[in-house]
Amino acid sequence: MGEVLVITSGKGGVGKTTTAANLGTGFALTGKKVALIDADIGLRNLDVVMGLENRIVYDLVDVVEGNCRLKQALIRDKRYETLYLLPAAQTRDKNAVNPEQMKKLCEELARDFDYVIIDCPAGIEQGFRNAIAGATEAIIVTTPEVSAVRDADRIIGLLESEGKSNPKLIINRIRPHMVKKGDMMDIDDIIDILAIDLLGVIPEDEYIVISTNRGEPAVTHPSSLASTAYKNIVRRLCGENVPLMSMEVRTSFLSKVKKFLKL
Amino acid sequence: MRQEIMFKGVRGNLQLIFSDNIDFSEVLHQIRTKLVVAADFFGVGNMIQVPMAKQRLTQEEQAQLTAVFSEYGLLWESVDGAAQAPVPEQLTIQADQAEDDVGAPQTLIIEKTLRGGQKVVSDYSVVVFGDVNPGAEIIAGGDIIVLGACRGMAHAGAHGNRRATIKADRLLASQLRIADVISRSPDQLNDPEHPEIARIVDGIVMIEPAEQPLEN
Repeated sequence: MGEVLVITSGKGGVGKTTTAANLGTGFALTGKKVALIDADIGLRNLDVVMGLENRIVYDLVDVVEGNCRLKQALIRDKRYETLYLLPAAQTRDKNAVNPEQMKKLCEELARDFDYVIIDCPAGIEQGFRNAIAGATEAIIVTTPEVSAVRDADRIIGLLESEGKSNPKLIINRIRPHMVKKGDMMDIDDIIDILAIDLLGVIPEDEYIVISTNRGEPAVTHPSSLASTAYKNIVRRLCGENVPLMSMEVRTSFLSKVKKFLKL
Repeated sequence: MRQEIMFKGVRGNLQLIFSDNIDFSEVLHQIRTKLVVAADFFGVGNMIQVPMAKQRLTQEEQAQLTAVFSEYGLLWESVDGAAQAPVPEQLTIQADQAEDDVGAPQTLIIEKTLRGGQKVVSDYSVVVFGDVNPGAEIIAGGDIIVLGACRGMAHAGAHGNRRATIKADRLLASQLRIADVISRSPDQLNDPEHPEIARIVDGIVMIEPAEQPLEN
């Protein structure tokens, strides 16, 4: 049986879909068999981030309603053979499925895949309840903003009440130079409030925007900072002990010389 | 002093609970003692529920009860005794401890962090072994003690006890309420270095270091 991970946050726009795409691709890079589920019915976009939009024929709701077999709805990634996507329906809403159906679906997928990664919609309503129903483990994504941390805290409470304890935390879009100046919450501030295990920290990286627009997850791009951070998270999830990436602002020798000459 | 009666908040109503084993004159005496001490708490014109009063009390006793309550502007009614079953047990516990423990009959202990959106309501004191995060709420009839950071909303003495206190290792609450007094945190709040306690002093909520033992 594979593991079923749900990527959730409460607040929108903190990087759930990006994280799901990158972790899924990251696992596939190590040869693991991965299924990505887009649980954001009605506002699907994991397929866009993965660059698979034009391949969609059937979706999650079709599977649940029995219009097709699960195998027919799973889209194989164009780059990695072991990576599959189950897209969300765009013309329906969150009430088109219920938690029991999702649970059954996840169990079915977990039999065939090493990892099942669910991209949870924002909010705490039906869509959230559907997304977490079948998960064996939860990953909370937050950004270093008070509002995102608030929502993450609420989500942790809700997961607890559903019997899903010990979620793991990913802090996304941290800007080391702002943290250094004291203008941004640092990792310790966030951990102090949320008090859960830190899985990884993703630095702010412009390449994420480029990769999302291109439909190629950043993790495939070796020189991007976020790529390294996501790869580290994948290794940690596989049980390796990887230290947190250095968050020091990188200054090259050349820029130091330039700075020196200007002084 | 041994206490064989108690007033208990049940679904927003106050109930008078007493054991059948003691003399009714003693019950009346203790009601009077409580009312003298805490007349403010009970207010005027409020209804006190007495479980199964019609069955348990004679006509004469009912009249005596009416007389005692009316002295303080209170009314009473007989209600079905759904809440009666656990009563004898509570009273025995109470009678055992009564010698040294008068003010705090029971305490709700929470052994986890309260997250945003979670709410704890108790008629008694509440002790939290963990943090109270922003957006979480604790409403207690008695005191509140947080062995961790209290960043949410804490309401002690919710039934009107103005002597209730709120104590926390790191008192960073967005809002503190004690009885009917509400105070909010300053807009710029520094992390306190030591445990603090909040209580009402001269009608406003005062926060002070909680190192020294509390005097009552």
